[in-house]
Amino acid sequence: MSEPIKIRATVKGTEGEVRVLLPHPMEPGRRESSGPPQGAHYITAITLSLNGRAVIEAGLGTAISTNPLFAFLLNGVKAGDKLGVTWTDNKGQKGKGEATFSA
Amino acid sequence: MQRRHFLQAFGSTAALAALLGSGLLRPTQALAVEFNRAAFDARSASDALRLIGASAAEASKDILLKAPEIAENGASVPIEVISLIPGTTRLSVLVDKNPAPLALQFNFGPEAQARFSARLRLAETSRLRVVASVGNRHYTVFREVKITVGGCAE
Repeated sequence: MSEPIKIRATVKGTEGEVRVLLPHPMEPGRRESSGPPQGAHYITAITLSLNGRAVIEAGLGTAISTNPLFAFLLNGVKAGDKLGVTWTDNKGQKGKGEATFSA
Repeated sequence: MQRRHFLQAFGSTAALAALLGSGLLRPTQALAVEFNRAAFDARSASDALRLIGASAAEASKDILLKAPEIAENGASVPIEVISLIPGTTRLSVLVDKNPAPLALQFNFGPEAQARFSARLRLAETSRLRVVASVGNRHYTVFREVKITVGGCAE
């Protein structure tokens, strides 16, 4: 498994700010004139869940920077709520992380 | 609709059983229709737009796209997108000049605001395009970003 996901989950009023850093090469590979890219290695899907329920789903292509960093805002979040993150890449590797919202 | 299960993310069946037992973990349903992976392999923005069903997206001033006008490093261009269109369930970002223009798509559940920030890889100076989807209706906004790395800015 690669480096752990870094998650910052902060409660601001009733909103929850989420920042997620996924250590991953996000290698776009080399495009031949046809066919899939050669040597590509990138995250294709991410799911964010709040207390076990999916709230955001992402599909990614090759135009995302190395070590992707994303930020989101959730509604109705309170301190102690759990944020889960899972990802899958084009080679079938997976990663997951969890954080607890704090004020 | 294909259902994806949160459960498969957990490697150990023992941990799974414990979690199920504690009632903390329920299978998670996917939020919306699966992404069309073919769109991520499309070689042109028009093909990608067609594959995500947004060819007829209408221009909207209610999508905010914050991006630098000039970026020194195309490997990491920060963007922020906020949709003010009520009921936005999906945001998609395309980089027209990239070999594979469709960069990302996000589905937002009711608990999530239709906004995000991210860092993109731009192969060269390009138009950035955001599509906000409200069910089957699509709205769009775009902006040019100049890339100066390599000293070939126009």
